[in-house]
Amino acid sequence: MKEKPMVKIFIDEKLVEAEEGKTILQAAEAAGIAIPHLCYHDAFEPRGTCRLCLVEIEGIPKLELSCSTTVKEGMKVRTQTDRVREARKGVLEFLLAEHPMDCPICDKAGECKLQDYYEEYGLFESSFAESKTRREKKRDIGKNLIHDQERCILCARCVRFMDEITRTSELGIFERGHECVVDVYDGMLIGNNYSGNLAELCPVGAITDKDFRFKTRTWFLDKGKSVCPLCSRGCNISIEHHKGFARFSLPKRVYRVRSEYNPQINSYWICDKGRYEYSYLDKNRQTTIHAVKNGQPVPMDWEQALDHCATEIKKLIYKNKTSRIAVVLHSWLSNEELFLAKKIFLDDLQAKHIYFSDLPSEEGDDFLLTSERSPNRKGALELGFDVKPFALKNVEDTIDILIVFGAFLIENFNPADIREALTHIPVKILITPQESELNPLMDLVIPSAHIAEKEGSLTNTDGIVQKFSPALVPPGSCHSELEFLSGLGKGIEENFSFYKRLSSGDAVRKKMAEDILFFREKE
Amino acid sequence: MRLIRYFFEIIRGFCITARHFFVNIFFHILNLFGIKTKRRGAVTIQYPEQRAALASRHRSLHRMMKREDGKPRCVACMLCATVCPSECIYIEAAEEDDPDIQKYPAVFIIDLNRCCFCGFCVEACPEDAIRMDTEQIELASYDRKKLVFDIDRLLE
Amino acid sequence: MTEIIIVLVKIIFAMMWFLVLTLYLTWAERKESAVMQDRVGANRANIMGVRILGLFQPLADAIKMFFKEDFTPPFSKRFLHNLAPFISFFFSLVTVATIPFGDVLRIGGKTIRLQILDLNIAILFVFAMLSLTIYGVVISGWASNSRWTLLGGLRGAAQLISYEVALGLSLIGLVMVFPTLKFSAFVEYQGGLLFGWLPKWGIFLQPLGFLIFFIAAMAESERVPFDLPEGESEIVGFFTEYGGLKWGLYMFTDFMKLLLISCLLTTFFFGGYHLPWLYADGFHFPWGGTWLLPHGIVVLFQVLAFNLKVFFFCWMQILIRWTYPRFRYDQLMDFGWKLLIPLSLFNIIATAVILKILG
Repeated sequence: MKEKPMVKIFIDEKLVEAEEGKTILQAAEAAGIAIPHLCYHDAFEPRGTCRLCLVEIEGIPKLELSCSTTVKEGMKVRTQTDRVREARKGVLEFLLAEHPMDCPICDKAGECKLQDYYEEYGLFESSFAESKTRREKKRDIGKNLIHDQERCILCARCVRFMDEITRTSELGIFERGHECVVDVYDGMLIGNNYSGNLAELCPVGAITDKDFRFKTRTWFLDKGKSVCPLCSRGCNISIEHHKGFARFSLPKRVYRVRSEYNPQINSYWICDKGRYEYSYLDKNRQTTIHAVKNGQPVPMDWEQALDHCATEIKKLIYKNKTSRIAVVLHSWLSNEELFLAKKIFLDDLQAKHIYFSDLPSEEGDDFLLTSERSPNRKGALELGFDVKPFALKNVEDTIDILIVFGAFLIENFNPADIREALTHIPVKILITPQESELNPLMDLVIPSAHIAEKEGSLTNTDGIVQKFSPALVPPGSCHSELEFLSGLGKGIEENFSFYKRLSSGDAVRKKMAEDILFFREKE
Repeated sequence: MRLIRYFFEIIRGFCITARHFFVNIFFHILNLFGIKTKRRGAVTIQYPEQRAALASRHRSLHRMMKREDGKPRCVACMLCATVCPSECIYIEAAEEDDPDIQKYPAVFIIDLNRCCFCGFCVEACPEDAIRMDTEQIELASYDRKKLVFDIDRLLE
Repeated sequence: MTEIIIVLVKIIFAMMWFLVLTLYLTWAERKESAVMQDRVGANRANIMGVRILGLFQPLADAIKMFFKEDFTPPFSKRFLHNLAPFISFFFSLVTVATIPFGDVLRIGGKTIRLQILDLNIAILFVFAMLSLTIYGVVISGWASNSRWTLLGGLRGAAQLISYEVALGLSLIGLVMVFPTLKFSAFVEYQGGLLFGWLPKWGIFLQPLGFLIFFIAAMAESERVPFDLPEGESEIVGFFTEYGGLKWGLYMFTDFMKLLLISCLLTTFFFGGYHLPWLYADGFHFPWGGTWLLPHGIVVLFQVLAFNLKVFFFCWMQILIRWTYPRFRYDQLMDFGWKLLIPLSLFNIIATAVILKILG
């Protein structure tokens, strides 16, 4: 691709280089100079409806919109002169003339740009004596969205999203003058899989999320970056969770999931599945260790459970029967965990029975959502696993130890059949974050962490390897599978010096890059 | 010299306290015999029987203000919970059908076990929904649970 | 037989007088401090709504103390821990035996001295008993088996021993003037007149001795400003590990010592039971008038005079306790060793010189 020529402009006396064809706003943002704007969004064509990004350009008598004026060689732009500030103040006053002052009940309060700019430019008394027009406060515009027409400042971001990104065009701006409203076309509701982005996109609190509506306030939430595990796209997300109060227990931990910008994968967007189906994080959560000996529950802590697993495996090592270990993996495990599993079970113990059990595929779409419902199938393939789906007849062979990761077996088979298939196996270990009907079938259930709670990396469907760090703290005695596997590697003492150094995700990743060409290239 | 001054001051101090004793006992005795004097022997207020008037800005037990129709004035904006330094306020919001109200507190708890009566919640409230002017100051209880005030008790 | 009964009755009367007065000293202390500080003081204890200036407060305190848990810390030396408060209490109490409350009372041909025990060596006996109370302090500090109480106990012992020296030396001047160690003799000497009109009380003969004795005796009673052994407000004292009745005994001992010091001051320096110009048959005023009184009234006057003087000193000590702040420990030691002891030695020499000059 041919590089566009660079032009030199001056913004607030500062020399800024920008590509030809870029707007002043883009150039300024790139140079770290903030120009207030509401309607402009990087992903859309500028429309210039909010009039807030006015700047002074030398040689042009009137103030110009920085969001739609392209840069020219030698242009001299000023963003902080008195004239500009006065203009912004005036624009804000017009915007607020019809905007209801209901910040206390607005979900956007705290992250609202209109609120921020009002704080910054003026804190003025409105000179409008007229009462504000009443419009519909609670209009249902789609399966996940509620539109407050009073709060809307007609920036048309939502309309442009529907026109340019999803190309479904459910939204339009109706009427003229002060009666102007954003609404859905007659008989239509926003039902596409990307509607949740509108609530995130809206610069004020006009479009709110039904899922998040009135649940909490934005300033209580801590953000943690992670990767969405609900399909193999690997969209970047930020998980917003409440750190909680000292004496009150909250109804939930995670309040919402928002997208993180990643131009390679998901740009600014995520699908509604990834946005709203975060409840798996807390639903039926396994937080304690269940161990059963001779039909009686035995209390065990994490160290003891790990020790127990290692001892059982060591017994087989002495009898030279390690091939009679069966392992069921899944592709919600990170590259590092799969690598360790491969090293332990395939290379050290040479187990013959290694299978995968994943969620069945569902329908995807042509934008972000893929049909695969597990985030790291590609990674498992690149690591050299022969990704054989697990079938119940696989354990008909003589198996001494069965180690199952995850509770996905229950999605693929019915519990009665599983019980029957597993009866003759003497040692059954389950490592899962989720409580399921599988629990009573096992001798030892060790709680593990979700993707959002651990560190590691995932390989998405296009082969992009993404690192992630924990966004949440694992509850109870949950530990990540990485900790379990590296502990197990040390515990069985076959190759102690190798596993001793592999207790962090970074260390495993480094080792993995040494061993496997695919990951070496990605480093 | 310092020693002499030291003893002088010691004796002076003794005289001051002795003066207090004699002046006060004089008034005490007068009062004991039923003679009314302008000055009393002691400044004590005999609390449960006599009470000092509370200052107008005194912060006592919270109360929730009501709208004209009896609903709480609170819109569950959680600013009080935000500003509360002892994290004693817990609110769960819910959706009201009336589009003019929209949001109301389904759960509103003030845990007086933790409350430090700083009055920040009153200052933070944009709706003037919470006030601390009930003049109830005797809040002690034998049961901690009784000190957890929910919205019904705050509305009383 | 009647002798024994008389002694028993005297003991019972003296003990009652001493203990009840001690009990009400707690009330007096609370009330007096309150009046000094523009307060009312304890006035809530009542019987059927009758309060009478809170006079039931000591009873209420006593009842409370009796019903409190008698807790002995598990790490303490149990026996000694229980013993210590009784040592202090007992040795403070027995000194009351030597105090003369009045002159002789004659009933039906019997002559009863209003004093339990007229020892020849009463001064030495009192000092010996006071010295033994130190054991209560040291043993409690040690038996509690806590480093804080041990330090408190040692602090207390050092203080008491230091001030005992000054206490003893301050009285030598007095013994030189009134050549006796017997309390009854002391008081009798003080019945005389000086220059024909001034009562011959110890304070007029030994003003410096009185001052030293007063200060040293207050230090012996472990009350503010000399309350370093206890130091309840900040430094931890020797009876920290005590509670309930045993703690109450320590407090009681404190007040008992206060009363005892008042008695001793009265006996040594303020003429004991003597009223000025009151003799066995009535008043003989120096300006020539006489007012003859029957024997019973004279004895009553004597007992009342003794009590009034004791009350005055109790009042005085409480006022001092609520006026001054506590000494620092080095100041305390300096004050005792570098001021009081040299002064009392000077007092002895000065007394000797004056006695020699007067022949």
